[in-house]
Amino acid sequence: MSNDAASAPPRILVIDDEPQLRRLLDISLRAQGYDVVSAENGREGLERLARHGADLVVLDIGLPDLDGHHVLARLREWSQVPVIMLTVRAGEAEKVAALDAGANDYVTKPFGTQELMARVRVLLRQKAQTTTGDTLHDDGRLRVDLDKREVTLDGQAVVLTRKEYALLALLVRHAGRVVTLPQILREVWGATHVEDTHYVRILVAKLRQKLGDDAAMPTYIATEPGVGLRLLAP
Amino acid sequence: MTPDRDAQADALLADQRRGEERGRLTVFLGAAPGVGKTYAMLSRARELRRQGQDAAVAIVETHGRGETAALVEGLEIVPRRRVEYQGRMLEELDLDAVLARRPRIALVDELAHRNVPGSRHERRWQDVMELLDAGIDVHTTVNIQHLESLNDVVHRITGIRVGETVPDIVFDRLRDIRLVDLPPRELIERLHQGKVYLPEQAERALHAFFSPSNLAALRELAMQTATDLVDDDVREAHTARGVPGIALRRRVVVAIDGLGSSEYLVRAGRRIAERRDAPWSVVTVQSGRPAEATRQAELDRAFALARNLGADTTVLHAAHVADALLDHAERDGASTLVVGRTRERPFARMFNRTLTQRLLQRGAHYELVIISSPHARARSRRGAPPPAWPGRRDALWAALATFAATTASWSAQRGFGLDDVSMIFLVAVVLVAARTGMAAAVATAVLCFGSYTYFFIDPRFTFQIGAHRGVVTVLLFLATALVAGRLASRLRQQVLALKAANAHATVLQALGQRLGTAADLGQVLQAGRASLERHLDADAWLRVADTEDHAEGTTLDAIDIAAVDWVRTHGQPAGRFTDTLSASAWWFLPLRDERSVIGVVGLRFAPEAGRPVPEQHRLVEAMIDDVSQAAQRARLVADLERARVGNETERLRSALLSSVSHDLRSPLAAMVGSASSLAGYADAMGAEDRKALLDTILQEGDRLDRYIQNLLDMTRLGHEGLSLRRDWIGVDELVGSAVRRLHRYMPDSVLGIDLAPGLPPLWVHPALVEQALFNVIENAAKFSPPGEPVDVRARLDDGSLVLEVADRGPGIPSDERHRIFDMFYTVERGDRGRKGTGLGLTIAQGMIGAHGGSVQALAGRDGRGTLIRMTLPLMRPDTASHATED
Repeated sequence: MSNDAASAPPRILVIDDEPQLRRLLDISLRAQGYDVVSAENGREGLERLARHGADLVVLDIGLPDLDGHHVLARLREWSQVPVIMLTVRAGEAEKVAALDAGANDYVTKPFGTQELMARVRVLLRQKAQTTTGDTLHDDGRLRVDLDKREVTLDGQAVVLTRKEYALLALLVRHAGRVVTLPQILREVWGATHVEDTHYVRILVAKLRQKLGDDAAMPTYIATEPGVGLRLLAP
Repeated sequence: MTPDRDAQADALLADQRRGEERGRLTVFLGAAPGVGKTYAMLSRARELRRQGQDAAVAIVETHGRGETAALVEGLEIVPRRRVEYQGRMLEELDLDAVLARRPRIALVDELAHRNVPGSRHERRWQDVMELLDAGIDVHTTVNIQHLESLNDVVHRITGIRVGETVPDIVFDRLRDIRLVDLPPRELIERLHQGKVYLPEQAERALHAFFSPSNLAALRELAMQTATDLVDDDVREAHTARGVPGIALRRRVVVAIDGLGSSEYLVRAGRRIAERRDAPWSVVTVQSGRPAEATRQAELDRAFALARNLGADTTVLHAAHVADALLDHAERDGASTLVVGRTRERPFARMFNRTLTQRLLQRGAHYELVIISSPHARARSRRGAPPPAWPGRRDALWAALATFAATTASWSAQRGFGLDDVSMIFLVAVVLVAARTGMAAAVATAVLCFGSYTYFFIDPRFTFQIGAHRGVVTVLLFLATALVAGRLASRLRQQVLALKAANAHATVLQALGQRLGTAADLGQVLQAGRASLERHLDADAWLRVADTEDHAEGTTLDAIDIAAVDWVRTHGQPAGRFTDTLSASAWWFLPLRDERSVIGVVGLRFAPEAGRPVPEQHRLVEAMIDDVSQAAQRARLVADLERARVGNETERLRSALLSSVSHDLRSPLAAMVGSASSLAGYADAMGAEDRKALLDTILQEGDRLDRYIQNLLDMTRLGHEGLSLRRDWIGVDELVGSAVRRLHRYMPDSVLGIDLAPGLPPLWVHPALVEQALFNVIENAAKFSPPGEPVDVRARLDDGSLVLEVADRGPGIPSDERHRIFDMFYTVERGDRGRKGTGLGLTIAQGMIGAHGGSVQALAGRDGRGTLIRMTLPLMRPDTASHATED
């Protein structure tokens, strides 16, 4: 499908059992120029995805027939399509589980349409580039070029240790999306360290320091308590 | 002196208990078999029957006598239990049948009867006690010689020792005593006419018993006893009504030593105490060394007897018998000391050292009763036991010490030219005396003397010595041995006595400590079981209400369970070491509070273990008392907590209902109203009005969302199992997240953030602490005037993280400040716009509290607004070393 990405509008599959929410998403997404397909339960959603294909899926985690986690797992067996989960706030463990199971991002209900649109844009853009995500991040001050392995702040090169760079690169590849702590630990330290979350705390603190970022008022790296880290989109 | 208030209360209580719950005993007392007790009892029952009272025959032996049988006729008879024993069919009282029938009055003949082995109780009087406990009045018959405390008297009068006695405590349940009297001559006549039933095998012995003089004495005794018992009743009734005039009762203390006459002394003591209507106790003094088996057995029997007769029993640990006795008497408020006549020791007597003499000298203000028992008389004729010869160990000690002293002296004389080596021998004597007993010391003294004479006194290698010198030396050695040995052995005894006393205290203290830390009933039982098992060397089983504690795999047999039930319903021990269901391997004891049995403790000693000695018995009782108290306390706390939670839940529920109806509906009303306006009249509105209505919908929607989130958080906190999923997170990250969330729907709020440098990461449940912080910041932002900043500060203080959020709003009056965290306060006021604080602060407090922290409301800095201070205990990262290494 990526060959006609330029001509045809991206297609978004919405899987949600609430008719009102489906209608809201349908109207809002169409207003942004997307092609919208809706499904009211997991089975139907998987079927639609198989039959019509989609460039992005918005999946409600609380579905009546198959719950969102199951739909996600079945979907990931054969498709790499980006998925945004709709969740509720108290369920930070649920969010981490969904992200680890292959969801690309989540939005907490109730959400503003703008927020959802921003996430959708980020994911579609990254999908259009490569399967590994962004390789370049540039907000005018911070520039990270993964191809050249270069990090500059206001034109000055930033010297990072190997692990700091690995963390930053991981965030850049998922710019604008949450990366969970287990994911970071797996990618930066290896599978045996997924419990050692304090490693991440210390590493991200050093990285923030080198980037001149303030966790209390972050410009680059924001913490989602109990979930993970997010590189704020430029 | 007026009767002391306690005594009066006791009497009233006893009266009430007897009147209300338990049945009462009517005794038909006779001086001898054949006086017509059964006849009298049956006549009385018929009379009661006529008056419409519900009397039934539980068991009456007519022994085939017509007149008696005629009386039974027409009375209801509860069927008896038939038991086969050694091939014979026997009939016994069917206790369960009587309990099931529950007559108002049960007739039970022959109180002193011994039940067929295998019955629930060994003795019929125990059956009667159970009937009384069940609230059934009992009429029964008994002869005077069967009364425990009169056993010795009867023995003295008649020369016959009656084996089947009834403990005097049974008579504490007495309502009425009816003396059935028959002049001796008439009785003997009846006997000759064959009107008196006598068991065949005892016939001949009993014929001797029926001599006119015996009968006269027994008759006298019966009358006296009946009078005494009636007197008791009157006195108690007087006390209950507050009639003064009865002197303060002083205690009678009976001292026993386990040397042959202990039981005799106990019975004598009981008579004295009873005659004076005084409480009494039985004590023995142990001076460290464990008593020999026979002596201990006698003490055990005497103590058991004493308890049966209603005495307290105590074992004292001390080296000096007289001092310990006087001390105890002083503490117990005793007026009378009863002691047996002590062994005659001519020397001790010469030096005023017999126990009696010392008691007489030092206990001048006590009445001293010295009783010479038949046993003591026999013994004094026999003379004192032979002095103890040195045992093999003592001899070995003596030989070794002498040998060492000789060798040392020899080398001292050869090596250093020491002339007088007697000092070296003295040292040997003292050492032996200090380490072992008197016998070894004396043996050493003699041996040393021999060796000294033989090896060191001229002429050497003979035992010849100069007269003066020899006598002086031998006296010196002997004196040293005696003095040092005496001192050392006394010291040792004191230490042993202290150790024994301390051991109990230590056990109880340890138990107390463990119980003190137990938070609930389960832990109390666990602590109790651990201590019981450890200190008593037995398996323990505990149950209070439905809570049980026992070692894994412990199961109870049917008989054990029956014993447990019995203990529960009767509040008396059962199982092993008792008279009830003694086939059980367990010894079951009640756990009780002031009013009732709250549980049961079972102890299973090794099968070969003997009956617990009194000392052990008391330790068990003391430990069980402690466990009872702790269990009671735990139950009380749990009850109170349940009641409190129940109350709060109810209050909270009604508060929440009204709050939900208000707080959910008002934002909904605004949203529905705005949306319907837009739907109906959008065309007629200006762009600005439309935007205003849309903004209202958005804002009210957000408010509704926050309110629902609060309700969810409340239910989360309300559940006991708010499990913390802790993880490391920086304070700055928490603040950052909360601030970003706030800015999302209050973009205009101004925040001043000031975090102290170098704050360590927190080990907390990140989402919960973030929510708490968000709630507090949101609340502050809501109250801040537009444009005025909300200050968020964090710093370390004494190992805790302090987070402060200050607004410049109107502030809270100081007397209301603490209430803003009160769920009821906030819920009752609701989330009503800017007026109330909503549930947010309560939730923040709950969440911070779950982390062991606290939240306070204070006056704002420079007197404006409110400052909310959250304090979280820090847990430092301990394994952070390799994090950033490459």
